[in-house]
Amino acid sequence: MSLWVDKYRPTSLGKLDFHKEQAAQLKNLVQCGDFPHLLVYGPSGAGKKTRIMCLLRELYGAGVEKLRIEHQTVVAPSKKKIEINTIASNYHLEVNPSDAGNQDRVVVQELIKTVAQSQQIQSSTQREFKVVLLTDVDRLTKDAQHALRRTMEKYMATCRLILCSTSTSKVIGPIRSRCLAVRVPLPSSEEVCGVLASVCKKEGLLLPPELAKRISEKSGRNLRKALLMCEACRVQQYPFSADQDIPETDWEVYLRETANAIVSQQSPQRLLEVRARLYELLTHCIPPDIIMKGLVKELLSNCDGQLKTEVAHMAAYYEHRLQLGNKAIYHLEAFTAKFMAIYKKFMEDGLDAMMF
Amino acid sequence: MDEYDELFEIEDNFEEQFADELEAMAQMEGESSKPQRAERSPKSKRMKQDAGVVKRLFGETQPSAVLLQSEDITPPSSPEQYEPPSIARSNPAALDISGFALLQESPGRPPTGPPASHHVLKRPPLEGEYISVTDSSGSRIYLRQKEDSGTKTVNSRNVPNFLGELGLLSVPIRVLREQEADRRHQQLVEESQRLTELLTSSVNEALVQPEDTENDENKDPEDSDGQMSRLWVDRYSPRHYTELLSDDFTNRCLLKWLKLWDTVVFGRERKSRPARSDRLAANQSSFKPNQGNPNPNRFKTKTEVTEELLEAELDQYKRPKFKVALLSGPPGLGKTTLAHVIAKHAGYNVVEINASDDRSADVFQKRIDQATQMKSVLGANERPNCLIIDEIDGAPAAAINILLAVLNRKDGHGGEAGSDTAKKKKKKEPILLRPIICICNDLYVPALRPLRQQAFLLSFPQTQPSRLVQRLSEISVRQGLKADTGALMSLCEKTDNDIRSCINTLQFLHGRGHKQLDARTIQRVSVGQKDQNKGLFHLWQEIFQLPRTKRKRVGDDFEEAMAAGGGGQRFQHILDLAMSNGDYEKVSQGLYDNFLSMRVRDPNLQSVCEALDWLSFSDRLNQVILHNQNFSLMKYLPFLSVTFHFLFAHTHVPRISYPHSHHDASSRLLSSRNALSTMLADIPACIRTRISQLSLTVDILTLLLEIICPKLRPVNPQLFSSREKEQMHELINTMLAYNLSYRQDRTPEGQYTYILEPRVEEVVRFPGLPPRRQLTYQAKQTISREMEQEKMRRAEQLMLQRNPAGVREDKVNEKKSAGPKATSNHQQRLENIVKQTTVESRPEVDFFGRAVAPKPQKIEPSSHTGERCAVLAMGTAVGDSDVWFRFNEGMSNAVRRNVYIRELL
Repeated sequence: MSLWVDKYRPTSLGKLDFHKEQAAQLKNLVQCGDFPHLLVYGPSGAGKKTRIMCLLRELYGAGVEKLRIEHQTVVAPSKKKIEINTIASNYHLEVNPSDAGNQDRVVVQELIKTVAQSQQIQSSTQREFKVVLLTDVDRLTKDAQHALRRTMEKYMATCRLILCSTSTSKVIGPIRSRCLAVRVPLPSSEEVCGVLASVCKKEGLLLPPELAKRISEKSGRNLRKALLMCEACRVQQYPFSADQDIPETDWEVYLRETANAIVSQQSPQRLLEVRARLYELLTHCIPPDIIMKGLVKELLSNCDGQLKTEVAHMAAYYEHRLQLGNKAIYHLEAFTAKFMAIYKKFMEDGLDAMMF
Repeated sequence: MDEYDELFEIEDNFEEQFADELEAMAQMEGESSKPQRAERSPKSKRMKQDAGVVKRLFGETQPSAVLLQSEDITPPSSPEQYEPPSIARSNPAALDISGFALLQESPGRPPTGPPASHHVLKRPPLEGEYISVTDSSGSRIYLRQKEDSGTKTVNSRNVPNFLGELGLLSVPIRVLREQEADRRHQQLVEESQRLTELLTSSVNEALVQPEDTENDENKDPEDSDGQMSRLWVDRYSPRHYTELLSDDFTNRCLLKWLKLWDTVVFGRERKSRPARSDRLAANQSSFKPNQGNPNPNRFKTKTEVTEELLEAELDQYKRPKFKVALLSGPPGLGKTTLAHVIAKHAGYNVVEINASDDRSADVFQKRIDQATQMKSVLGANERPNCLIIDEIDGAPAAAINILLAVLNRKDGHGGEAGSDTAKKKKKKEPILLRPIICICNDLYVPALRPLRQQAFLLSFPQTQPSRLVQRLSEISVRQGLKADTGALMSLCEKTDNDIRSCINTLQFLHGRGHKQLDARTIQRVSVGQKDQNKGLFHLWQEIFQLPRTKRKRVGDDFEEAMAAGGGGQRFQHILDLAMSNGDYEKVSQGLYDNFLSMRVRDPNLQSVCEALDWLSFSDRLNQVILHNQNFSLMKYLPFLSVTFHFLFAHTHVPRISYPHSHHDASSRLLSSRNALSTMLADIPACIRTRISQLSLTVDILTLLLEIICPKLRPVNPQLFSSREKEQMHELINTMLAYNLSYRQDRTPEGQYTYILEPRVEEVVRFPGLPPRRQLTYQAKQTISREMEQEKMRRAEQLMLQRNPAGVREDKVNEKKSAGPKATSNHQQRLENIVKQTTVESRPEVDFFGRAVAPKPQKIEPSSHTGERCAVLAMGTAVGDSDVWFRFNEGMSNAVRRNVYIRELL
């Protein structure tokens, strides 16, 4: 527990640093006794998980922080054994069903049922329901989500679900309608700076506000990343200086270079090089949609106004195909090629216009 | 070597090379023109044949052969002899050599018997009874037992046993055979007359005539059942070595190989080979006699290698080196026919196993044993068997292993010195003494791999189209089908020179009532095309390469047809290829990997975009197919290949590489996933719950690696300032929390390095980026050691937490030293020692007081001194101190002490 991210993580709803209104609402929700299924969503680094854990603590007390990892084996109907790690306390169970890949439906069915079917013995001292926390719900297959629907209704008496995802777009409607959706937006830049300052203060360090601002910009207001960056800065150089360079994640640098390569030349040979780089990114476990997003962001900064809309349109088109398809590289490369074609045409048109 | 020798050599080579063929020719000629000395298919009892006879025969028959060839319509390379009309009319006996006459026979039957006047034979006759006679000079001749030719008309069913022999049939078999031969003979004469009329008549008549002849043939009492129902392929399949359409070299090699078996099967010596090697040795002493190659420095061509294989010495059982010949080649080139013809020609009885038989292992074993170890006793063909295993590439691996076991049997017994024991064993499992010919289409089937090494490999080249066309035109003339050379040529082209397919197509067209064939009809007809399965590389090649313009040899109208339907035809062609391949996944992967390196002018990247759109379309299609099991959509997949063909086809020969990229990427992805999951697996739960694999890769890991590389002074950690100590402590905490550690590793150069375990560094580091700051070896070493200590500290803390009471109790017990319960073994042992030392006092105690034992004991230490006190002192010492000692010879754990980690750190 020595990374700042872990060390200074708030543990109760009252201590949360930002979105305090929402925290108060959640507190009210828990205190009134009943508690619906929750769907907590928001970008990564906004503090969804922290909020959920605070909520659980509010609900069950400090016992919820005594966690243990359990290795569970679920047998699929096809006799295939699926091993999955769950994190559990006495009161709740956390599962990431997307670890099971295509067999997540079985995991959802079996695990949740076993938890939900067991009643709490001492209902006087404890709540009469347990909580199952499902993370990465947007990576659940449609089958698994449909399997979830009935379970959510049937075992309402003994079990509450908290679903955690980055976006609701991949959660099917029926599930969305069964849950209370809680959006956790990213903290504002000022809030990030405030958190950084308070953490540094607790560490006994002096953080120049300029550096804090730069860190929050560079991290894209992702608080987890901001804190890690801040700590990395501390490791690199202390005392801080306002203009010291902030370490970045390698894949972002790599992606930026890829985008530059695309902009600088448009030819099949270059496309071949870009393909190798895209493969490199994919094999480093960077999800294709994040690659697409980063690529578009970098490319758009090189485009003119008219071109921007077109590129954004193409990006949306190919990202949708990416979601539908299976081999990400085809779609990523298709987008790259399309961008190259558009960009080249645009540049040539511009040149022609200059000539005449 | 002077010129003369060289010339001589060449000549000799010719004779040697073609000896088998010459023999074949000679035999045939002998059969026809001099039936009395006919050397038919050799029998097992046949005497050894000397080369002189062959040569003499050859000399004699040469003129007639030339004569025949001059009348022949086929080129000399394949001297098929079709019916020469004049001979047919004048000399009925000569019909034997005409291919036509023979074609009418069923394959198994021997040719007609010789005229009755010749009774004295040098060899046992093929059929009929004979008596062997040895004359005074020792030479043996065979007299044919034969009845008068006049009597055979009298012989009918009701005449009982001719010659008074015992027989099961009412008419002796040979009489029946005679009758049969006679009848056939007459029929042949009739047939030939009819056909000569047919051939001499005009073409228009020929169009009508064959129907009649066929009808006539149908009416023939003998062949009515078999002949007309047969396919043309069977009817016109070659019966003789000289009629074979396949490549001459291949034929010759197989024949030579089969002749190598003569030594062991027929007991003949090899004839010309030793002579040649002797001569070679005489001419060039520098070369070893067995090396047939006169120029060893030169690289050997494939032909020479094959020849050399055939020249190789026989093994100890006088078998050739390769026990099996493996013929391979695409279907329809006449492999099976070749094997049959050659085996029959070399005097074997053909036993065939093919795919239509059961080929499970035990059945296979049985059949091989039957074929190789037994021979037919009944019937005329008491010749040795030659096993032909057709379509062996479809056989299961177990069956092929059995075949291999049969081949290698000699290894088990050949090595044994004692001939008696060997013989006894041989009775149980005799070695293979009969040739086996295997036939396959695909030489590289995995199951065949072991067999390939032990087999004499012969791959079939394509049939020459000219020869095939020749044969086809003969057949079509024979059947009254009017076909020009161009049409037949295009037919050959269409079927890839597949003989069977060509003839079948011809028959099909004939059956449909086509009497006239031209190129257009053939192009339009969709039969004759094989459902061929070419390799992936071939498919990719076809896709990326424009078809070459056709040569002009086919004919102008055909050319026009090609030009008119160019695009459509290419479309269809690629579509067919892709569909017949069927492995769309692999195909599209190959296209994806290769299309960008094609030399296509595409300045606007339009075709690249389109191609990638198609790829992503097919990817989505695949996803839908697999996910919803909607396989009806699969019909749209092959169009990807067509698109790529039209977008990227070029006249250049494309350089295509095998698509590895996807496989590589997925394996690398898997390995980095594994590294991440090993890292995640041991992270404590309180941290584990906050991070997922995704956030680890995207956000945390790079920065984490940065954080665990602080600047450390390269000094002993004892000398760190308090702030540095703090930093170190934090670092170690972090690394432990995230399940990272340094492991010492030895590089291949012998240097020691510390590497981060699990190997997540590779997951986040990208090539081509500036390298991150690394800790020095010393720093890593320090961290690693500190971590070990911290780990031990934590483990002990955990233990203490788990049973703090137990430890304290132990201590209390030790302090008391009179505790009734001994905690551990060594303490018990020590107590025993104490007891033993106090043994002397015990009886005294017993002797002293009756029931009150404690009392005197209590008194004694207080009152007495000396040794007893010392003993007790020792006892207390044992209990009191932390150190015990016991001398134990040869033991290393003499001194024991409880040591806590906290005391050491």
